[in-house]
Amino acid sequence: MSFHPKMEYAPARFHKSARTLPDPGGDFTYTAENQAKFDANVQRYPPDQRKSAILYALYLAQRQQGFLTRAAMAHVAGQIRCTTADVEDVVSYYTMFYTKPVGTYVLNVCRTLSCALLGAERVTEAISEKLGIKVGETDASGMFTLIEVECLGACDRAPVVMVNDDWEERLAPEQVGEFIDHVRAKGRAAFTGCHLHKEK
Amino acid sequence: METVTLTIDGTQITVPKGRTVLQAAIEAGISVPYYCYHPGISIDGSCRVCIVKIEKMGKLQTSCSTVCTDGMVVHTREADVVEARAGVFEFLLLNHPLDCPVCDKGGECPLQDFSYTFGPAESRMDFPRRVFDGEGVKADVDFGPTLMLNRNRCILCTRCVRFMKEVDGDAQIGIVDRGAGSEIATFEERGVHSLISGNLMDVCPVGAILTKDYRFKTRPWDNPGVVDTICTLCSKGCNTSAWLKAKPEWARGSQLIRMTPRFNADVNNYWMCDIGRFTYHWAEGDTRLRKPMLRPSTSPGQAPLEPAAWRDVEPKLRDRIQDAGSQDPASVRFLVSAHASTEELYVLKQLVEGLLGNDGARAVTVTWTRSDKRQPEGTKFKVPGTDAPNVNGAKDLGFEVGPGNEGMPDLTRLRTDVEAGRVKAVYVLDPGPDGSIGDVSWLVAARRSGTLPLLVVQGVLMTELAAAADIVLPGTAWVEKDGIFTNDQGRVQASSRAIAPPGEAREDWQILVSVARSLGLTMPYETSNDVRRALATSKPGTGYAEADHLLFTRPVPARNWLQASNPSERWKWDFLFQDLPPVKGHSVQMEGVPAQETSIPLKPVG
Ligand code: SF4
Ligand code: SF4
Ligand code: FES
Ligand code: FES
Repeated sequence: MSFHPKMEYAPARFHKSARTLPDPGGDFTYTAENQAKFDANVQRYPPDQRKSAILYALYLAQRQQGFLTRAAMAHVAGQIRCTTADVEDVVSYYTMFYTKPVGTYVLNVCRTLSCALLGAERVTEAISEKLGIKVGETDASGMFTLIEVECLGACDRAPVVMVNDDWEERLAPEQVGEFIDHVRAKGRAAFTGCHLHKEK
Repeated sequence: METVTLTIDGTQITVPKGRTVLQAAIEAGISVPYYCYHPGISIDGSCRVCIVKIEKMGKLQTSCSTVCTDGMVVHTREADVVEARAGVFEFLLLNHPLDCPVCDKGGECPLQDFSYTFGPAESRMDFPRRVFDGEGVKADVDFGPTLMLNRNRCILCTRCVRFMKEVDGDAQIGIVDRGAGSEIATFEERGVHSLISGNLMDVCPVGAILTKDYRFKTRPWDNPGVVDTICTLCSKGCNTSAWLKAKPEWARGSQLIRMTPRFNADVNNYWMCDIGRFTYHWAEGDTRLRKPMLRPSTSPGQAPLEPAAWRDVEPKLRDRIQDAGSQDPASVRFLVSAHASTEELYVLKQLVEGLLGNDGARAVTVTWTRSDKRQPEGTKFKVPGTDAPNVNGAKDLGFEVGPGNEGMPDLTRLRTDVEAGRVKAVYVLDPGPDGSIGDVSWLVAARRSGTLPLLVVQGVLMTELAAAADIVLPGTAWVEKDGIFTNDQGRVQASSRAIAPPGEAREDWQILVSVARSLGLTMPYETSNDVRRALATSKPGTGYAEADHLLFTRPVPARNWLQASNPSERWKWDFLFQDLPPVKGHSVQMEGVPAQETSIPLKPVG
């Protein structure tokens, strides 16, 4: 890309960054349904604050294909009318956006202070051992992905693991194996988060 | 103007309403460190080193984001501030490689300067530092056509991110990942593609973003000469500083080492474009004309140009011009680049009027080029289309410039006359870079075919046109002479002589004066200031009336620029007059201990 009218650029003979880039992915556009949802959501914000809709836009894209590729980020950038760098900034900041395929259940283990004091590290270890995966990986069955995150805002019920969008509180390392088996067997019905009781 | 009065470190300070505490401190000459603050971009408050204690406020506050209020009492030197600030510095340096000896910012780096003054003596970090791609040079990664990025050195101040978003208008840089993993990156590692990308090196307070043009070329203490001048590559006329390298062993190499912007709120703010920043090598390049040249035979293409002495060339030139104009003086025509300074144009005007009477200016065709500069719509730094600095100067002197800066010059009259054989001689004045007088292949062709009997080129480079000429006169580029140029706002600005013209090259106004004298005209000018004085008297009540009082600078001594330090911090010297960066070796931790008599007298540069 040359836009200097006359200047010759330094030739590209320099070391390129070894940063791991998100998957490029194939062509991506919202489905008609998602496009309609986005168009409705973006109305909530003043036209000059369009960027406020970026999280919603990214969730839509992530739900549509399971994770976010570079093509999906570019599509979202077009929708939000910001740059692709802005989108990657947001995607890479939040742990709830995935740039690789993930399992049905994403186990987000909190590793911040309260949880750490109550053994979060051992929770992570127990999960890795049970599923045979390391942090950031998905197990062979494709059902579970393990990641570590920062404070989930439920410190009083530490150690906390967030499974997809639900808290699983006071999950002591010893109970991890049993919990995973329950989820495998019963799905979301195995969740015990206190917010679920409120919902009922 | 509404003002507020506050106390900083016991000194009462009155500032206009709306100033932040940091700005007030800077203006009052109280040294407070800062990284994420830059006067040309928005406030971020992310680096935390500018913390101060403000009475009646619970915690220490970031002075860059706290607006002054009446009666505020601020402390910057109390024990708790000093300690907390040192703590912030310790964190900033956790992952910093401290490779100052090989870093191009070393010697003019705010991180160095402020850390020496405000940081702790030692780090307590005993974990390994975070490194990207490896240590040292390997950590340098391609960051677009003009830049390199060393992520190890980055302190994540986000100045570059904000610059791209706010000034360039295309946010190509982002912060990828979070917390300890954060890094500066572009989408898909594409790098920064912008017409004003070079400013990122000035904006970056550490050696993380460097230009490919400047890196590894010199060390700051080896280029002690700085000349305040202007850029002449388009009609904007950015105020710039030309940096000179001054090592004896390099004396024969090029001297210009970089161009950096100089703050001017009315013209270029803190910025300049990449065209102006990187296009200076031509002035000292291989094709530079150093000696007058003469073609021994009058028939075109017969003999090659041969170097000659001025004293041999001058009479030849006179004879051939007189010869060409013997039947009709109007058949001698001038093609003048809008890169010519106003002094040159003024002398030229007197020359043609002396030869041809009052409508002599009709013999002169002013030329320039225009180019499409691709920039984002929202950019705050628009580079104009016209690639020449002085179209307005030519217009003000009464030369025909057609649509001026808004459009292209009209060369058709000259071209038809030349091609019809009605012109006996063309005298070209071309002190700009190659190609800056536009497409002149028709002129080359006319001379080669003999339709045009005489072509004289006064310029700085051996261009295709100069190669076809009968007489070539080596003139001077903008960095080699004092000259004034009128930008597209009509501002009369000065470009200063930074380096000496090479070989036997002469200042263009001088060449024109001697040509005029040899043709029997009176030219009472001994220095370029004589020309400016005459110009000033001839144009009272205009922007030129003060032309002979314009300030031309000479290289400032090393001592002064060392204080001015980082080019991105030059604005302080130009308008805030702060004694920053601090004199090295003085540490706030040692305040109270009498300072040694090593301090350099502080005064603004220029
Ligand atoms: S690259 Fe430089 S300007 Fe950008 S965040 Fe890092 S230190 Fe700041
Ligand atoms: S905008 Fe024009 S004057 Fe300013 S640096 Fe670029 S070319 Fe030079
Ligand atoms: S520390 Fe784990 S939820 Fe807050
Ligand atoms: S300069 Fe104030 S927080 Fe960075």
